[in-house]
Amino acid sequence: MLIEVFGPGCAKCETLLKHTRHAVEQSGGEHQVVKVSDYATMAIRGILSTPALAIDGQLKFQGKVASSEEILGMLKA
Amino acid sequence: MLLALPVWVLLYAAIHRLSEAIAFQLLGLTPKSHLGEAVAFFFYDTPKVLLLLMLIVFIVTFLQTFVSPTRVRNALAKRAPGLGNALGAVLGIITPFCSCSAVPLFIGFLRAGVPLGVTFSFLVAAPMINEVALGMLFAMFGWKIALLYAGTGLSIAFSSGLILGHMNMERHLEGWVQDALKAPALGEGEEERLTFTMRVDQAIQGVQDIVGKVWPYILVGILVGALIHGYVPEAFMAGLLGKHTWYSVPLAVLVGVPLYSNAAGVMPIVEALLGKGAALGSTLAFMMAVIGLSLPETIILRKVMRPTLIATFVGVVALGILVVGYLFNAIL
Repeated sequence: MLIEVFGPGCAKCETLLKHTRHAVEQSGGEHQVVKVSDYATMAIRGILSTPALAIDGQLKFQGKVASSEEILGMLKA
Repeated sequence: MLLALPVWVLLYAAIHRLSEAIAFQLLGLTPKSHLGEAVAFFFYDTPKVLLLLMLIVFIVTFLQTFVSPTRVRNALAKRAPGLGNALGAVLGIITPFCSCSAVPLFIGFLRAGVPLGVTFSFLVAAPMINEVALGMLFAMFGWKIALLYAGTGLSIAFSSGLILGHMNMERHLEGWVQDALKAPALGEGEEERLTFTMRVDQAIQGVQDIVGKVWPYILVGILVGALIHGYVPEAFMAGLLGKHTWYSVPLAVLVGVPLYSNAAGVMPIVEALLGKGAALGSTLAFMMAVIGLSLPETIILRKVMRPTLIATFVGVVALGILVVGYLFNAIL
């Protein structure tokens, strides 16, 4: 799966990126994690508050730092 | 959780006596002496501000789980100026919003058809009327000052958005923003559904995040407040920031803008200034300049706005704060 983490690079976004990488390791699956920090892209994808996360193009949440467990749940769903 | 509230009340009730015990008995300082009063202020204000902050952040974060930027954007889309500016300003107070989200939020609002002026009303209100500051003012100085702060902040946000909206500033947006406004949307996710427990969890998380982040600012603020409380003579402060000093308001704004603090950090300074006879208008102007016109946020917004627009934005807000300061010094 393709996992995109959106954020301009503030502390919260880095934490979410870390949680996401951790969740991917835990899942043991073949997932690709991409960090998106381009504002124009965020705008087109409908993101109003950062950090945000999308899985396979589907926006899962925005404006919060989800825990590794939460992200792991989304990967398995 | 249920145990936390009574513990909070007990602690809060004990602070005053405890602070005097520490300053005058444990440390053996003389009451009414400069050092004694400064130290007592420090030991009184530190636990007081921290306890209040925890309670207020909990309540505010809980309420904010009901207001997402996406919902606010939909409520503001295609509103006419006037009503739209008023709504934008009010929603700006309560919408959870961190300054690193300012740029995506700004573009997202414009894309959805929120007018530029209405977006400005929102962007001015969001930092200027800080929801935590509002709660702290209410708890420390009563509802009149809290209402005054909210009311004046709202009128600045309302009128500056209205003015900027009439100036046709769209062409002063950076080129890539104008392109992003025209690009087609690529689908949107659905809103998360939250249960009561999830909201409470988020509120607890908010308290941990915010208190963990702002306590150094609070300590610095309290230290400055304690020095003012203990050492600055009343006549000096009443002269410098008094209501009859014509330059007191611009002075307060000039000192306030480059200072970067947060809502909780300025409160002890506000407390000490008012205690020393500084005029209310000048003190409010100082507080609004510190919280509402901060350099880091301006630098972030510079990414989407050309210099003319950002200068107009800062200028209109600063003017609004000056007007408020003079107004309150004149009528109160």
